[in-house]
Amino acid sequence: METMKDEDGTILKFLDTMDNYLILFDSLSSTLRQGWLDLASARHSMGSSRISTALLNLKEHSASTVVRVNDETINETSGMEPHFTLRKWRTCEDKTNPIEEEEDVQGLLKQPSLNLRHRGFSETKEASNEPLVSVDDQVQKERSKALSVFGALVSPKLRSAQISFETVLETLIDIANARSVMLSTFEQLQQMKEQSN
Amino acid sequence: MYGFEMMTFNVQGGFLEAIVRGHRSSLLTAADYNNLCQCETLDDVKMHLSSTEYGSYLQNEPSPLHTATIVEKCTLKLVDEYKKMLCQATEPMSTFLEYITYSHMIDNVVLIVTGTLHERDVHELLEKCHPLGMFDSIATLAVAQNMRELYRLVLVDTPLAPYFSECITSEDLDDMNIEIMRNTLYKAYLEDFYKFCQSLGGATAEIMSDLLAFEADRRAVNITINSIGTELIRDDRRRLYSNFGLLYPYGHEELALCEDVEQVRGALEKYPGYQSIFAKMSYGESQLLDKAFYEEEVKRLCLTFEQQFHYAVFFSYIRLREQEIRNLMWISECVAQNQKSRVHDSVVFIF
Repeated sequence: METMKDEDGTILKFLDTMDNYLILFDSLSSTLRQGWLDLASARHSMGSSRISTALLNLKEHSASTVVRVNDETINETSGMEPHFTLRKWRTCEDKTNPIEEEEDVQGLLKQPSLNLRHRGFSETKEASNEPLVSVDDQVQKERSKALSVFGALVSPKLRSAQISFETVLETLIDIANARSVMLSTFEQLQQMKEQSN
Repeated sequence: MYGFEMMTFNVQGGFLEAIVRGHRSSLLTAADYNNLCQCETLDDVKMHLSSTEYGSYLQNEPSPLHTATIVEKCTLKLVDEYKKMLCQATEPMSTFLEYITYSHMIDNVVLIVTGTLHERDVHELLEKCHPLGMFDSIATLAVAQNMRELYRLVLVDTPLAPYFSECITSEDLDDMNIEIMRNTLYKAYLEDFYKFCQSLGGATAEIMSDLLAFEADRRAVNITINSIGTELIRDDRRRLYSNFGLLYPYGHEELALCEDVEQVRGALEKYPGYQSIFAKMSYGESQLLDKAFYEEEVKRLCLTFEQQFHYAVFFSYIRLREQEIRNLMWISECVAQNQKSRVHDSVVFIF
């Protein structure tokens, strides 16, 4: 009886994570579409000569955003550890102390075994046209610096496109972590099934 | 003051005015745009354009088509028409026609300088330049390290030379200096064009003054909105505004202090000419500002054709064609991205 309860809980958890995964994909698709349209809108407003691949900087420079891959083991008591983390807008001078804190996806992915997610309530970032709620000045400066390849005075539509693509990067990391959790939950299920057989 | 242009204009300018009025009648209509907005693919767009004057320019393009190809071929048509008119124009019409292209020349100079700063290949940059703004020594721009060299090596022999006096420094070129250079050059160009049109007198001076004043005001608003949240200080922003226009000088003083779009709205709503633009937008909605300005510009450009015996029709025609190309670019992007519901966000009907 106890075993059946555990198995049911794990199945529900798997279905929850799969639901989360599919919602993230929808969110990614709509945010990307918005980003590309904003970019086209900026090109319409500023002109094709100002928004062009010919202006992208070929000088050597370090990446402003990196993905860190953690090989964490599964912890039965505290839940799953995320495998991927995103460090955005790292400065060249301070690579060990990123300007923006790591995305806290642990709160998102830690789920007690019987805690059901309700459809319609998303803990992830939905596709949104609004700027991020709290923005550090330094992050704003890094954003402006990244856009300066197109000129110092750019259209608000280009800034909006940048925010959309930044949201897309975050969503991709969420998708990677969701997939990781989904696959490990599926493995647990398979183990349980083998043990019960 | 009008000076009997009816008696003398047709001697030198009558043929070309007839030509440009003929070209005007080939601009796309609302029915054409409605057909284009319903296209499913870029090949459909090409098929619809084949029955227009763009047909001969697009017919040999292979599938799959790209938005950039459509824009490039449509621009080529405009350039061909312009060059045919220029080669048949006499003074002062030829100078007037050349003035129309200086804005593209400035854009090309800035493109080459910015691209070189980013270590791009010069040939790749030359392909992206606007054909109306090309000049002989443009490729030599890549060797300049600062504005003084830019002027001394290349631009001293171009029509842009007189505009450089206000921005010559020995500072190395960087993104902010280049942006200030762009806007300073454009400001000087607009003021020079305005003075030239005033010197022509008659209907040309009257109509072009209104059109250039609107252009100067629109530039001031765009500079203000684009500089919100950037490092550009108020004094530098104020220096980039032109010294003429409906907003000069009191509107400029208010715009220089604006920190968000609502303050810009507050500054402009005092001017009846621009009240109607902001009336179309609800509070907090700045996305439609560009479209509102383009619609107002198209309205003013179309009105120039109601009068004869002046050069403003040439300026209006070039600007209307550029608006048409922008419309086609936007429609093509929406079709290519499968976002047809957004196609009417930025299309401005001319007729």
